[in-house]
Amino acid sequence: MPEPLLALEAVTLVSPEGRPVFRALDWRLGRGARFHAHGGAGGGGTALLRLCAGIAEPDSGRIVLDGTPLEAGTLHPFLARGALGWVPSDGGLAVNLSLLDNVTLPLRFALGLGRRDAERTALAWLEKAGLGQQLHERPAPGHRECWMASLARAAAKGSRLWLVDRPLGGLDAASIQAAEELLSEVARDPGVTMLLVGGAWMSSLGQDLKIGNGRVFSGGEP
Amino acid sequence: MPEQLACRLGAKVRRAFAQLGSISWLLGKCVRGLFRLRREPFRVVLEVTRTQIRFTALDALPICCLTALLLGGITLLQVFGQLSGYGVESYLSQVLAQLVIRELGPLMVGMLVISRSGTAMATEMASRKLSGELDALSANGVDLVQYLLLPRILGGIVSVFSLVIVFDAVALLGGFVVAWLRLPLSLAFFLDALGQAIGHRELTATFTKCLAFGTAIPLLCTAYGLRVKRSATELPQAVTKACVISLLVLLLAGALLSVLIYA
Repeated sequence: MPEPLLALEAVTLVSPEGRPVFRALDWRLGRGARFHAHGGAGGGGTALLRLCAGIAEPDSGRIVLDGTPLEAGTLHPFLARGALGWVPSDGGLAVNLSLLDNVTLPLRFALGLGRRDAERTALAWLEKAGLGQQLHERPAPGHRECWMASLARAAAKGSRLWLVDRPLGGLDAASIQAAEELLSEVARDPGVTMLLVGGAWMSSLGQDLKIGNGRVFSGGEP
Repeated sequence: MPEQLACRLGAKVRRAFAQLGSISWLLGKCVRGLFRLRREPFRVVLEVTRTQIRFTALDALPICCLTALLLGGITLLQVFGQLSGYGVESYLSQVLAQLVIRELGPLMVGMLVISRSGTAMATEMASRKLSGELDALSANGVDLVQYLLLPRILGGIVSVFSLVIVFDAVALLGGFVVAWLRLPLSLAFFLDALGQAIGHRELTATFTKCLAFGTAIPLLCTAYGLRVKRSATELPQAVTKACVISLLVLLLAGALLSVLIYA
């Protein structure tokens, strides 16, 4: 059996309010797998993404990414080489940098690309995300541009694992189309693994994943 | 009752050592991060360092000069009042130089940097952490120690050093102007006396204090800013703590270095 890209082993997560989100959860995400989880806010989708990205620390159990456990306080080698495409609801962009610099920064830092090469790559993906006219604007938190730029950032890095959360406040029709096209283009690479949460328009990109009662069910099982 | 008191004291001491340990660990990570920097991330670090120097040193120049001018004048007036009673006004410039260069310069600049930039760093780190920006940077492969902490420490060292030089020069100039108004003192005599008063120990003290303060202030303020967990109400507490601890460390380190160098 091939080693999964991501494995959650007996993971328990309790919310800050003391509500159990996951209880002794065992779940594996194979290389090249694509899943889409429905459900509204509070359904556990965001919590699962945060666990997988190493942002939320489990109360017990461990998470193994690409063969190495995620540890708090250290930059995981998978993350350090820019292989994770993290697209949170609010985009997670630095508000003191322009959209172009936000996309360029991880390319220079994680991939070691020179400024010009990084800007060329960033520019191409930002244009695909429909942000070609707003390259030098600073992001306004919560706006659709943040989420779209975050998507462009993940694509520009050539991420191998995509963890995409629903955009805060939704998207207009033109942005949905641009996001769909961008994600479809990325998904053409069979080595890319995706875990998408929310947004009915994303459902065509992955198999159905159900999250409930502290468990995760792949492939539509109850 | 005595046991309870001992327990409380013990807990506080343990907490203080734990904090010292975590700050030392962060400093260690920073030093490792500096030596592990690759070419392009090094350029990014330099760019952020330049911005930090602009905010910490260049933007603080007017207030630094004004403080130094006033402090130099006031100090000289006080020293003059004491010395004139003994008829040894000729030592005026030497006393002023030693007082400003050895103690007042680094200390006042340290306080200035804490109040202007330290608070800004703590607030920035806390708010960026609360907004999830730092999590996103880290998830995207940006080493937070290299990208955030290292440029602030490098910028802090350069800024404190530059500001201390400006502060000392302006304070001594302010002192000279006050002395010149009250005494038949020539600039050549003043500068000559200054040259005699400044030796290798003064330069060593200035270098050492600039290095210590320039490292400690950004390190402590960033570390305390990053300690917030969930709520925006933690932000003012974090900033206050960062300032108070930085100030305490500044005074302790200043006193310790002076004792070590001049005792």
